Amino acid sequence: MTNQSRLFRRVGVSLAALGALLSAGSTLAATPYTADDLKVRQDALTNSVKRGYDMWYGARADMANNGLACANCHPDAAATNPQTFPKFLPMFNKVVTYRAMVNWCIQNPQGGKLMDVNSDDMTALEAYSFYLHKGTKIETGLVTRQTAGAEPASARGFNVKGTGIGFDK
Amino acid sequence: MSLIEVPNRRRFLGMTGAAGLSTLSATAVGINLGLVDVVSAQGGPRSVTPFRFAIISDPHLYSEKDHVFDKHLEDAVAQTNALATQPDFVLITGDVSHHGEADQIAKGKRILSKLKAPIKSIPGEHDWYLDMGAAWKGAFGAETWSFDHKGIHFIGMNSILVPDFWTAAKLTPAQRRDWFMPLNSPVPGVWGVADIGLEWLAKDIAKVAPDTPVVIFTHSPLWDYYPRWNFQVKESPQIRDMLGKFNNVMAFHGHVHHTVYNKIGNLTSVGTMSTSWPWPYPPIDLPYPAFQQNRADPSNTADGMGSATVAIDRTGAGFVQHMPFADSLSPTMKNGFKV
Repeated sequence: MTNQSRLFRRVGVSLAALGALLSAGSTLAATPYTADDLKVRQDALTNSVKRGYDMWYGARADMANNGLACANCHPDAAATNPQTFPKFLPMFNKVVTYRAMVNWCIQNPQGGKLMDVNSDDMTALEAYSFYLHKGTKIETGLVTRQTAGAEPASARGFNVKGTGIGFDK
Repeated sequence: MSLIEVPNRRRFLGMTGAAGLSTLSATAVGINLGLVDVVSAQGGPRSVTPFRFAIISDPHLYSEKDHVFDKHLEDAVAQTNALATQPDFVLITGDVSHHGEADQIAKGKRILSKLKAPIKSIPGEHDWYLDMGAAWKGAFGAETWSFDHKGIHFIGMNSILVPDFWTAAKLTPAQRRDWFMPLNSPVPGVWGVADIGLEWLAKDIAKVAPDTPVVIFTHSPLWDYYPRWNFQVKESPQIRDMLGKFNNVMAFHGHVHHTVYNKIGNLTSVGTMSTSWPWPYPPIDLPYPAFQQNRADPSNTADGMGSATVAIDRTGAGFVQHMPFADSLSPTMKNGFKV
């Protein structure tokens, strides 16, 4: 088969699929996203990430009884590795979700009150942590080495790149 | 005096380094000869009397009664007091308190007073910005200092100074302090010793001979480790230039809450564990990855924290041993290393 015939064949298949969709009725034809649609969605996500950031740094009092916040141990969500869940954790002795681990931290080192795993606030904590790991390969399983969160492009906080001064290579 | 600190037999038997091996031989035949001083049996350019000092970093005490971090600091005190060869002094590398409150600083001083050895302190940013160091200075004295001890020149510097960002913004003392609380806070900017520190250092070392071994303490490292988390001192290049005249400069710091090592020319930099909580390593490639701790286990509340001890030998070189509360060190660090 020539390249040209392959192309016609593909176009033919695509046209056939499109015809099938159109004949199924206009309700199945997706409306293209408008700029306004995208803004609404992005704003909602950004607000959730910001809410997560604020809670990460101690905005919700019932998350601790000893003054500790997520950020004490996890600046920039470092070493949270949400992309590695679900995974086995020894304190549970079973495979758990990221939200279960967040609740474990709230209850144990922070001495706080268990959070509803389906609440918007829990989603926000997850959104913030995942946001900082955007681009990180999803790789469920155990993490045995020290790992850090990706440096955020536009999270609150200042973004100072190292100059490299000081490395004696 | 031995350079190697062996808190208990179990840990002792786990040692695999050359110094540990020679000691092991002596003990294996049932003769308690004490630990063999292997590394320091060398001549040096200058007369140094061997001794030990210890380091306790970043207690971050809160005001709550019986807070978990009180216990961690007490553990570090007990660990230091249990050293077979007692340190001549213990260096506290800053952040005794978390919020800079007077009661937190007083609590820190009370717990640290249980140390058998005297202490020397430098401030961290958490100690400073509520009252600009008033309570801290009241408890621990001068923020920048130097002294000569058994042939070594010791320097401690306030390295958490920033230009005034609070007056024009009309911030309250608590607001000013709170801007320093997050590690990646956008407002205060990069910390340092400021011009006043550079001027002080120039005068301090002017008459110190180049073959004098120097030990310098700052809260954060004297190299550009990870500025986003303020893992640097702003004037590090100038400080390293000024200290360039010495044969051997041993720099120790806290702030990073994990073990880290770097070498720049004549300056060896060692970061020690905190007693409060461990921080992960930042997302950069370290020049000496063998000095990274293992990943701390969150289910073990003692893991990833501890103190350190440094034995100075006759050549003026230091022998560093990190002393974790739980076993989180890499093989490179378990037996100690020379600086």
